[in-house]
Amino acid sequence: MAQATNPIRPEGAPSNTAGQGAGPRYDGRPAKQYLRLLTPVTSRQAAYYGVAGAFLFFLIWEAGHYLTPEGSQRFLPSPQIVVGTMVRLTVEKNYLADVGISLARVLISFFAACAIAVPLGVFMGCFANMRAFINPVFSGARYLPAASFIPLLLVWFGPTDTQKLALLFLGVIFFLVALILDNTEAVEKSLVEAALTMGASRSQIVMGVVVRAASPAIVDSMRNMIAVSWTYLVIEEIVAAQDGIGAVMMRAGRFLKVDIIMAGILTIGILGVLTDIAFRLLSYYLFPWNRKRPG
Amino acid sequence: MSDDATLAIEVQNVTRRYMGGKFTAVDDISLDVPEAQVCAFVGPSGCGKTTMLRMLAGLEEPTEGSIVTYGRPVLGPGPDRGMVFQAYTSFPWLTALQNVEYGMKILGVPKAEREAKARKWLEEVHLSQAANSYPSELSGGMKQRVAIARTLAQNPTVLLLDEPFGALDAQVRWEMQEMMIEIFEVERKTTVLVTHDVQEAIYLADRIVFYTRTPGKVKQDILMDFKNGQRFRQKEELLAQPGYIDMERQLFAWMREEIQGT
Ligand SMILES: Nc1ncnc2c1ncn2[C@@H]1O[C@H](COP(=O)(O)OP(=O)(O)OP(=O)(O)O)[C@@H](O)[C@H]1O
Ligand SMILES: [Mg+2]
Repeated sequence: MAQATNPIRPEGAPSNTAGQGAGPRYDGRPAKQYLRLLTPVTSRQAAYYGVAGAFLFFLIWEAGHYLTPEGSQRFLPSPQIVVGTMVRLTVEKNYLADVGISLARVLISFFAACAIAVPLGVFMGCFANMRAFINPVFSGARYLPAASFIPLLLVWFGPTDTQKLALLFLGVIFFLVALILDNTEAVEKSLVEAALTMGASRSQIVMGVVVRAASPAIVDSMRNMIAVSWTYLVIEEIVAAQDGIGAVMMRAGRFLKVDIIMAGILTIGILGVLTDIAFRLLSYYLFPWNRKRPG
Repeated sequence: MSDDATLAIEVQNVTRRYMGGKFTAVDDISLDVPEAQVCAFVGPSGCGKTTMLRMLAGLEEPTEGSIVTYGRPVLGPGPDRGMVFQAYTSFPWLTALQNVEYGMKILGVPKAEREAKARKWLEEVHLSQAANSYPSELSGGMKQRVAIARTLAQNPTVLLLDEPFGALDAQVRWEMQEMMIEIFEVERKTTVLVTHDVQEAIYLADRIVFYTRTPGKVKQDILMDFKNGQRFRQKEELLAQPGYIDMERQLFAWMREEIQGT
């Protein structure tokens, strides 16, 4: 054989443009390969993959339900049953009120935490002496398990909404401060120096340069931390609440109503995904300059 | 340059030490830069060029000695001394136009005037077509054009350039150098240019201050006399000047001495 074969694209392999692939390939493998190193997917491809993954998940769940022996199938209800339960709860049991209460708890406590964590993190990130003064206590506090505050908060506030909001607040505030401090310190020093040589004042630099530069990362930190808020919400509502999704689940547990428990889990999952998407959209529209360039 | 020209920069016995005084980056440097001179700081890596420039900008304080620009001691950074950094420092959240406006906004220039001036400066650096682009959409050379326009738009008395073209590839660097010569001709700004590119220094500067390697001292301080006070827009013209080759050879010889310690 005189003809050298192309090691990058063996004969017969579909070319990149003819195949489904988009964007460049870096690993020199044929285009039909599914695990292509460092190769981006288009948003359409990402959507297909996402739907396929979700479908697979529900398929396994469904299979699990039917593979369970007849008598214990109610301990693993199928997805249709769980969704049906969600609808029934909504229509008959005013489930949306509980969902609303849970959502409000997460949002109020989370934004209260942000209202303190963002300025504090930025402040420490801008002024090293303030960081040295405040950070040891705050970063140490991250190691105190927030759930261990439940008894204390119950003694202080009783089983009130204040107690619940306080727990959710404590659960995220210390981590938020640490993340936002990092985000602030990650701002290029040369941007600050450029502003200094242009005669910008300290407040113009803090608000106009550091905060502006760090804000996409700050919103990202918030997006990641609100997931933690949802975790504490369930712990809190299971331990000490009369209302909210967690309380609904806890009551259902006493009567072994697994479909209601799973409806609660699914609800929280959906709400979590929705808050995540909301933060992504916020970031997309607030920071057009930070959008990833297509291609 | 006559002796009675206004002194734009006066550096007197400036020393800068680091690590609690154990390391001397800049050692007892004195130099004067007359108004409108383009002065290049050249020397091997780590000889203290950037440190010296940052002290001129007021971003760093001399351990000893004093720096005066136009009769005023340098006590900190200020818009009278504009600086262009090697790193890209355009603000990513502002468009090219808004970036150029930024410095003028700091100075309190009214919006309409600011925008008109910013457009003029973008034209000056050949970037009008990208006025509404964000820095992430610009090439390295375009980002440096924004930085240069932003600095000049503040009309500083002294222009400080720290390897502004160091990260650019050869052709873009050369375009930028030609542009800088245009700007020097029109603006007549006192300029200090840090570079370790010997050819760039000869091309752009009226005078070269050559540093020794640690501790940074002035090894040689020479005027580009062979240019007869001219600046050559076209690099070919400069290369054709008698004396150019000797100058370049001389600088490379100094560079070799400093790097190899012979
Ligand atoms: N903040 C600092 N702390 C300690 N040492 C420093 C600091 N800044 C600079 N130095 C040291 O001072 C010396 C001079 O640094 P400088 O950046 O001025 O060199 P340079 O001539 O600009 O070099 P290059 O051409 O590589 O940019 C170097 O040895 C450097 O390590
Ligand atoms: Mg340097």
